[in-house]
Amino acid sequence: MEFTILFLGTAIVMLIAWRGQRPLALGLFGAVLVACVATYLHHATDTLKLSF
Amino acid sequence: MTQTRAITLNALSLYAVAMVLAAAYAAQFILQELPCPLCLLQRILFAALAVGPILNIRFGPRPSHYAMSLLAAVAGAVASTRQVLLHIMPGDAGYGSALLGYHYYTWALLGFITAIVLVAAILLFDRQFEEDKAVLPATGGAFAQTAVWLVIALTAVNVVTTLLECGFGACADNPRIYELLKHAA
Repeated sequence: MEFTILFLGTAIVMLIAWRGQRPLALGLFGAVLVACVATYLHHATDTLKLSF
Repeated sequence: MTQTRAITLNALSLYAVAMVLAAAYAAQFILQELPCPLCLLQRILFAALAVGPILNIRFGPRPSHYAMSLLAAVAGAVASTRQVLLHIMPGDAGYGSALLGYHYYTWALLGFITAIVLVAAILLFDRQFEEDKAVLPATGGAFAQTAVWLVIALTAVNVVTTLLECGFGACADNPRIYELLKHAA
């Protein structure tokens, strides 16, 4: 589910970058990137059988 | 490099991101290989690479927009390096099929490193950051607009396919079926 939300967040950032305000796009991009890193670190600390 | 030329290069970079996302779909649908969670994260970070060029096309090139792409590319390189290292032991067949001898995560690592190098290279050209609004179309022209909408559309389609694959819970480590379609099948 978290990956669906990250894709949705990225699509929203793109739309805001194209149609909305620049500062909002920058802020949301930062939030999505932090969420990506958090997702990576969350999975990277799990016991993995394969790629995750 | 003029601002107009820089915007054309940014539009080309969006087509490159669109090609990567489309190639990932080709593997997913033609080879019936569902992306693992780490593969999905790399796709997301490829899509995130596109935000900087979109801002460059709309507002004109700025170093901060390139910095956004650099951050996304570094995060993507870290994620793909991890997946390469997970399968580096001798005898490990790797995850998914190989394309021209390399698995998709290895290609992804090469793609992210290429993005870092190209963004650094384009940052060398200072003239693109000078005001040049007289010759610049408001949204970069049809070539750039098509690139923007193509990348947005591919990212939006990924929202749907990822929801179908993972459902409303955690994504499977080694996905074989679309979670939301298993009852329909």
